[in-house]
Amino acid sequence: MEERKKEIIQTITDHFKDAVSNPYDGNRVDFTIPKQQIPAILFYLKDEMGFNHLSHISCIDWLEDKQFELVYILWSYTDRVKVFVHTRVDREQPVMDNIDMIWRQANTYEREIREMYGIRFAGLEAPEEFLLEDWQGPPPMRRDFDTYAYAMKTFWDRQEARSNAQDVRETIRRRTGEELPDFAKKYSR
Amino acid sequence: MSFIDLKGTLKPLTALKQFGRKPHTLKEVPFVPLEAADRYRGFHYNDIEKCIGCGNCATICQNQAIDMVPVEGIEGHKGDSGLRPRIDHGRCCWCGLCVDVCPTSSLSLTKDYLYVSDDPDSFLWMPGVDNPDGKERKAFTGTPETSLNDFQRVPMPELEGMERVKSFAEVVLGYNEEQARAEASRCISCGLCTEACPDHMHIPEYINAIARGNDADAVRIIYDNNPLPEMCGKVCTRRCEEVCAIAHRGEPIAIRWLKRYATETARNADIIREIVNPEIKEPNGYKVGIIGAGPSGLTVAYYLALRGFDCTIYEANPKAGGMTMYGIPKYRFPEESLDKQIEYIQKIGVKIHFNTKVGKDIPFKEIYEKYDAVFIGVGFPKPWTLGVEGEDLEGSIQAVNFLYEINNGKQVDVGDKVIVIGGGNVAIDAARVSRRLGAEVTILYRRRVQDMPADWEEIEGAEQEGVHIIPQAIPVKFHGDEKGHVKAVEYLKAEMVPDEKGGRPRPVPIEGSNTIIEATAVLGAIGQQGDYSFLEGVFAERIKIERGRFVVNEKQQTSDPKVFAGGDAANRTADAISAIADGYRAVKGIEEMLVGTGKDV
Repeated sequence: MEERKKEIIQTITDHFKDAVSNPYDGNRVDFTIPKQQIPAILFYLKDEMGFNHLSHISCIDWLEDKQFELVYILWSYTDRVKVFVHTRVDREQPVMDNIDMIWRQANTYEREIREMYGIRFAGLEAPEEFLLEDWQGPPPMRRDFDTYAYAMKTFWDRQEARSNAQDVRETIRRRTGEELPDFAKKYSR
Repeated sequence: MSFIDLKGTLKPLTALKQFGRKPHTLKEVPFVPLEAADRYRGFHYNDIEKCIGCGNCATICQNQAIDMVPVEGIEGHKGDSGLRPRIDHGRCCWCGLCVDVCPTSSLSLTKDYLYVSDDPDSFLWMPGVDNPDGKERKAFTGTPETSLNDFQRVPMPELEGMERVKSFAEVVLGYNEEQARAEASRCISCGLCTEACPDHMHIPEYINAIARGNDADAVRIIYDNNPLPEMCGKVCTRRCEEVCAIAHRGEPIAIRWLKRYATETARNADIIREIVNPEIKEPNGYKVGIIGAGPSGLTVAYYLALRGFDCTIYEANPKAGGMTMYGIPKYRFPEESLDKQIEYIQKIGVKIHFNTKVGKDIPFKEIYEKYDAVFIGVGFPKPWTLGVEGEDLEGSIQAVNFLYEINNGKQVDVGDKVIVIGGGNVAIDAARVSRRLGAEVTILYRRRVQDMPADWEEIEGAEQEGVHIIPQAIPVKFHGDEKGHVKAVEYLKAEMVPDEKGGRPRPVPIEGSNTIIEATAVLGAIGQQGDYSFLEGVFAERIKIERGRFVVNEKQQTSDPKVFAGGDAANRTADAISAIADGYRAVKGIEEMLVGTGKDV
């Protein structure tokens, strides 16, 4: 397995000069590559190296870096090795290539990411609406989406039935007679 | 060709032959619903006994579906808020984050998913209380692998055991900034610790300030009710860490070390003052006399001085700090660290008369008459004696006196074989100091190692440094040589007999198990008591003392309304943080008595 892993890394880095291999234990091989080369590397992995199966496409919101990260996870039945391919796209103008001509099931993953993160996939043919019904707001899986505010606005607030709720810190403070100075309160939970 | 298609009419009736057969699509007849998957996320179940009411589930819930509410039959106490989660199932989206952040793993999700009602408010119910049978069908449970809590403490860099015994250098090296931020980030800010702290320090707030990178705010919050935080940061008995929510399945947050980190960012008294920047009120004309510059006396002086009182401390020793100065060895609490804090307190305007023993250099009566209020924080200076034969031999020293001499910079000759008797922190300190003086050290303790009242870290530290501990050993006689110097200790082995009244097991000596071990010095450390000989004449009657301690009310006021007391001489917990708590209470008591309850006097 280690030998095969080395071979895969060697072949990929030979063919794709921009691919960076990230070391991982076990049966995992991991690359980072610029987004323009994603279709090429995925085609190559599938057609030339036997990674027939696309397990998943995942997305991470790097809010502070103003980027989204896409992770393509592939599996080879013959080598029993998985390959992770990472790439980053701009958060302000999130556009990515559609790859559902390589694996048909990518269509579903891309629809989900489009809806949840707001990433456009150029050439993706699928109805605009997927899981969310009549969704007007910003994509809800983005980290700057305020779930709490959304919940407060959307759900019925059983004010009367829930009025006996207590704050844990406040309950303990009352019990002990601790005097919390005002300037410290911003650090309370 | 007939009018009736007989075949076509009868053929469907052949389906009747299936009647009464076992169906393929249902597993059981009559119908039994299939069980949900092993990690199914259905309704919540909460183990009410295991739950500590930390409220972490309510905090994480982005749908604001969880409330913390009191439950009948559950009383809040140290380590338990007394509240339990109640869930609005109309809001829950079954994400399971509440389970993933539950520090005790009391909360889980079950395989139940059917609930029908036409009353919307009936969707509001308490897991575990309203569905006790959910226990049988737990599915999505919190495991250490899936938990989002961080159960591993950031390790504290320390000197290695055999390196330590070469000098009195500080053993614990302290967190650096990165380590402190990482450790502080483990805190879930529930605040259960504040109840266990005798002084009720604002723990979640200052830890959160450290986590957010604002050390100055952390120092300010810490100084709000503790004027000796660096001392507490190094040697506190940290009852807070015992009730830490994370400690239920992992290592508690290093609250003590984080306090130490924050206070060490202020390197000297001027910087402390700059950071804390306390508001000092205009002098109000009242004068307060304080006896003893230990933790309780210093606390009273500091906070009263900030409130505009004129405070004077009388201290018998040449340095302030009381037991933290003369009782705690310097490898645990270096002198510079204490000096810095005392200097800061003096800069606020507190006057300290050193080398002035009340009762000898100045009568108590004079202090009583000169000041508007008096605070007594004299501690327990007098050691208990064992009461065995040969205890007055040369080389038989009281451990507190031994530590006093060493901390005072004196030399004490203990030879190369030291026996320490006792199992408290004083015993361990005396043993570890003796190791640093180059002696072989053995501790004799009457009960088992797990019964030792000393901090486990101290016991572990002593063992790492090569201290030998003999548990269940009761000394009966000290043997002396012809010059009257101690040369050996005779002890009896003891067996632990369970206490019939339900108390802790008692050690009972085994007849004839006498063992003798050689010794060049014996250090007794079986506890201390108060010395109240300075209270003469009328005061001895007026100020009530019971079982060796001052009788005080909740404001630390003694039976003489003008006199307050605190510290070891007034409480049973006998540690520095309790002394500080006593001092802080006395501050409020004295202020109330002299200037009234009005805040703006």
